[in-house]
Amino acid sequence: MGTKEEAQGTLSSTDFGVAASAFILNWNTVCSSFPPWTWVLSHHQVEGYLSLENVLLSSTQEEHSELSFPEAGKHSHQEDPIDVDDATLVHTNPCKVHYYDLHIIYCNSYRVPVLYFRAYDSDGEPLEFDEIEKDLPAYSKKALSDSKWTFITQEEHPYLNRPWYKLHPCGTSEWMKLLFHADDALAKTGVAIELYLVAWLSVVGHVVGLRIPFEMMKQL
Amino acid sequence: MASESIVVFAQFQSAVDEGFWHRFSSLKLNKLGIDDSPIPITGFYAPCSHPQVSNHLTLLAESLPSESNEQSSTAATSGGNRNRCPVPGILYNTNTIESFHALDKKSLLKAEAKKIWDDIHTGKAVEDSAVLSRFLLISFADLKKWTFHYWFAFPALVLDPPATLVDLRRASQYFSLEEAKSVSAACNEWRNSSLTADVPFFLVCVDPNSLATVKHIKDWETCQSDGNKLLFGFYDPCHLPNNPGWPLRNFLALISVRWNLKSVRFLCYRENRGFADLGLSLVGEALITVPQGRAAKTGNGLGWRDHQCLPNAVGWEQNKGRQVSRCISLAKSMDPTRLAISAADLNLKLMRWRALPSLNLNALSSMKCLLLGAGTLGCQVARMLMAWGVRKITLVDNGRVAMSNPLRQSLYTLDDCLNGGEYKATAAVKSLGRIFPAVDAEGVVMAIPMPGHPVPSQEEDNVLEDCRRLHDLVDSHDAVFLLTDTRESRWLPTLLCANTNKITITAALGFDSFLVMRHGAGPFSSNDERQRLGCYFCSDVVAPIDSTANRTLDQQCTVTRPGLAPIASALAVELLVGILHHPQGIFADGELANSSNSGSCEQPLGVLPHQIRGSLSQFSQMTLVGQSSNSCTACSSTNIRKEEWNLSSKQSIILPI
Repeated sequence: MGTKEEAQGTLSSTDFGVAASAFILNWNTVCSSFPPWTWVLSHHQVEGYLSLENVLLSSTQEEHSELSFPEAGKHSHQEDPIDVDDATLVHTNPCKVHYYDLHIIYCNSYRVPVLYFRAYDSDGEPLEFDEIEKDLPAYSKKALSDSKWTFITQEEHPYLNRPWYKLHPCGTSEWMKLLFHADDALAKTGVAIELYLVAWLSVVGHVVGLRIPFEMMKQL
Repeated sequence: MASESIVVFAQFQSAVDEGFWHRFSSLKLNKLGIDDSPIPITGFYAPCSHPQVSNHLTLLAESLPSESNEQSSTAATSGGNRNRCPVPGILYNTNTIESFHALDKKSLLKAEAKKIWDDIHTGKAVEDSAVLSRFLLISFADLKKWTFHYWFAFPALVLDPPATLVDLRRASQYFSLEEAKSVSAACNEWRNSSLTADVPFFLVCVDPNSLATVKHIKDWETCQSDGNKLLFGFYDPCHLPNNPGWPLRNFLALISVRWNLKSVRFLCYRENRGFADLGLSLVGEALITVPQGRAAKTGNGLGWRDHQCLPNAVGWEQNKGRQVSRCISLAKSMDPTRLAISAADLNLKLMRWRALPSLNLNALSSMKCLLLGAGTLGCQVARMLMAWGVRKITLVDNGRVAMSNPLRQSLYTLDDCLNGGEYKATAAVKSLGRIFPAVDAEGVVMAIPMPGHPVPSQEEDNVLEDCRRLHDLVDSHDAVFLLTDTRESRWLPTLLCANTNKITITAALGFDSFLVMRHGAGPFSSNDERQRLGCYFCSDVVAPIDSTANRTLDQQCTVTRPGLAPIASALAVELLVGILHHPQGIFADGELANSSNSGSCEQPLGVLPHQIRGSLSQFSQMTLVGQSSNSCTACSSTNIRKEEWNLSSKQSIILPI
């Protein structure tokens, strides 16, 4: 990463690829108890992004009985009796479970990584933003509302063409600049590329409630 | 002796990723149409990896055949990996909700169960054991409402009488420490090899030296040795400590048919953090009694080994304990109109978050705007209003789209000019809807009554009717834009707006100059004695007359430099937004640009001028303030009073003097 880019808190798309590889290696070694990040190639096989999917979050929210029954009122249809035998156990999940998919995608116009995420329940039904907010730990809700640099928007995923939530990148280069300038050692040795994503995720993760294991941060 | 309880299996649970529905919708719209023949699909599952949550059988976008090779009759099982064991399935999608409910679920389940039964008997299930977990999905995709009704079935051959459970305990309690270590290692190896990671049924052989090996079930013969412990292992999606998962049902059927075993020791393989977890995994022993009843019926003594005798099957997925289908609505992420709305809202919100926290988006989206004139100014003003989030727009124009219009009037295209030309008001509304489907646009084809223009006697009633209509239109909107191309056509609207104290914005074009201004408050609008700002006519001393007669063509249709209309229109809309955000609204004083007036710095949108006059020849612009005139022909109180619902007065002004 040229010092010019570094000074601005941004990185080139090639450097993003380098940073991503380093990040995956680091994460999968240090955080083997966490699910691994993987690198996914877009269909054109040219660009790629980091992906962490099916992250399970047991929610403390109440199970809503009206959920997934949009036609409940109209259910006058009499279903034929279906055979169920004694050897079948039907279990209802006592705790409501939310799943999260996280993608880290490079943004060409802002020249920074962007965190895209979406949440869904065990039926696959996507969660609304206010439900996601309830899942966020208190410190990230505070971070989101206080900081003028972080807010969550819903936009079309660049590769999957469906709406995903993302942490808007317009403030990223600003706080990445601060992060790197704050550490003289980093600025001098210039190994910043490999550590870019860890540094970036330490801020972004804080906002969306994804805790970065301390071991990864030690290298910063 | 152990209790005579039966094995109770935990039902498989389904999970459909929205990507599956997206892909299926696209397939249906682009390729299948009304064809409702069954589609081979692939499901994916993995062993349980969480002590409190079961794993699901998941459908993803990749579960469907790609749009290019629907011709293949077998599902191209997409590459599995350790987290995705591919399982074959079939999708029956109907074209109506009625046919969805009318599907014969019993016979569909039976047909899939038969496939499993056949695979067991022919030996295919030994070679490719994933077929034991074959599944069925019925659905109705409502592509108008973007809702998907669906129901899974996981066919399981029913053992009759059911298998009894002799023992069930945690695997760590069954194996010795040495054995456990070896079993874990062997399983991890199986799970890490790309050749076997997605093979969900296997054998675990533990020799007398506590050395365990994991083998393919087709190698069953090689495991027959007296000192060995033999367990039938399978990836168990279930997390429960007292119940094995669903895949065991058909596994037991296979074991009984192929190898005629009565006592089966099984391993419910579960993981934690990517490694075998013998504390979560279960080891149990089941007793299978050959169904003599059937044998007695068929009389050939084979019982279950008789291929022709298909056992009963169960497996329709329960929905929170009820026997009903599931339904998911994906309108928010699939309906293009909703996507357009949320994208537009996002844009405005971004503006508010990043630059203008006091932006009042609700005021903008609830404001009703009336645009008199759908020409160069009207088209641009309409577009700018939509960009600001205004949704309710009414356009009034009695003209038709002419061939020269599309170049300068940004809502029209060549098609609107054909066959004599569409009415502008109508064409504009259609165009706005194409740009943003959620706009609430209305077109009114009507001429604006103008003073001084001769009215033939047979048209009198129509003209009076138009006056009434115009009055009602002004009344029912919050802001009025005067965007017509003659001075006198602005007169009656100005008067009506002053009478009802509506926000009024005028834009007028010369050849290379423009005027954009906001009218002051109406004369009866407040009890203050303070001076109102003027309207368009306040600085005139002459009554508006017919300005178009006896003029040459280029003076009748205002010829202007093309850049003027977009500039003036944009300023007109920005002026409206300024008024909306000013605490005094229509009563706000006129401010001048570049003034040291401290009041203007407080407003986040900047100064709020009264009049803006611009000149393209100078690339310059200046702001002016004009007070209202007591002898204004349009907005003075004397005139308005005369107007108060006196039709004959209106008549006298409109008919030739």
